Order: sequence, then structure tokens, then C-alpha cells
Amino acid sequence: MLLFGRVRELAGYREEAEDLPEGATIADLFDRYTRRFPALAGFRSSLVASRNQEFAAWDTKLAEGDEIAFLPPVSGG
Amino acid sequence: MFTIHQEDLFELVQAPIDVPALHRRVRGPEDGAIVIFDGFVRNESHGRATKFLDYEAYEPMALSKMREIGAQLHQKFAIRRVAIVHRLGRLEIGETSILIAVSAAHRAAAFDACRYAIDTLKKTVPIWKKEYFEDGAVWADGELPPAPPAAKPAS
Repeated sequence: MLLFGRVRELAGYREEAEDLPEGATIADLFDRYTRRFPALAGFRSSLVASRNQEFAAWDTKLAEGDEIAFLPPVSGG
Repeated sequence: MFTIHQEDLFELVQAPIDVPALHRRVRGPEDGAIVIFDGFVRNESHGRATKFLDYEAYEPMALSKMREIGAQLHQKFAIRRVAIVHRLGRLEIGETSILIAVSAAHRAAAFDACRYAIDTLKKTVPIWKKEYFEDGAVWADGELPPAPPAAKPAS
């Protein structure tokens, strides 16, 4: 699980491994983080998720070894 | 999937971007035009004086999205080569953060492709910019990449 930009700063770390129950989704993973970092909850509508480096819907089911990231609005260029 | 064009170049770099070298890289005898977009650090943002910028990226995904943009350029426009290089880390005022160079036989395709490349990069490539001012720092307002539709029910 990876965080970038303002949500990385908010949580205080960039990368962490997580074990989730069978059938868990990206939204479940995010909910787990909002319990640890309540301020993250307010960011959900301004984040997009990715799974294995492709944009992914929040209800995407997770599989062993997936790389999930939560990405704030991008501002490259 | 998309076609890889071997002579194209997609890079994320920490060191200053060598603009003339990239110009030479895309230039060939078959071309009649090169359009270069050189994006660099402005000295102000919304009326506040900027001190410097700091860029971070989800590097493997950013590179993959930059390659996708390159492949789209070849599909949509009659171009020959493209180079897209983005710099990361701390950048001072006036330093190039993004360089896009597109070569083509004719100018219209090169102009259109270069414009498409920078506009798409700003919406889809996971790179973030933090702006530092005298009295603080903020993450730049960005664009939220379009989220894919909800997943299909499990089969």
C-alpha cells in the first residue's frame, strides 16, 4: 500500500504491507487506514486508487501481492 | 497494450534536463518540424512569490503512463519521434520541470501532438508538485485522474 503527496504527509509514511481478509476491496483497505488516521476520511472524494499501477475502481477486489496506491489530484508538468 | 516505439524516450530524472540534447534526440532527416514544450518553474503562484518547487512521483506508474501517452501520439498524429522527460525533486525558479519534444514531417502534427501530450500528462500521470513560499508550503491544486467504472461482479 502506497501513499503520495498530501496523504503521504498526513499519514506520515509512504509504504506499508497489509493483510486483508479474502474478498476485501480497495475501499476496505482505505477504511482500515481511516480508522488509524481519521483525517484521511475527508480526502476520499479527492483521491483515486490504483491497483498494480493502473487506475482502479474502489470496489476492486484485492488479491495476494497487489500493489495498491491512493493518489491525490495530480499536478505534474 | 500499446506499441513501443524504440526510438522514443520517456524518463524521470533528478538532474537538470538537457534541452538541446533532447532536441537532437528526436531530430532526423525525414522530419520537417520539431515542436518542443519546455515547462519551467514560475516565480509566483496565485500572486504569492514562489521560492522553489518539490516534485514527487509514483515512479513506475508515472513512467508507464508517460509511455502510454507516447503510444497515443503515434496513433493519433503523423509524428515520428517523441521524448517526454519530467524532473523530480527540488527545482529552483526558471529550471525546466517537463520537456516534451515531438518530431514530424509537417508542423501541424507536431504542434497538435505536443499539446495533447502536455494536456494529457497533467491529467493522468501520477506526479505531484509542492510549492514553497516565504511563509509556508502547499500541494498544488491538481486534476483528479478519471476513475474507472465500478468493477464487474466477481465471476
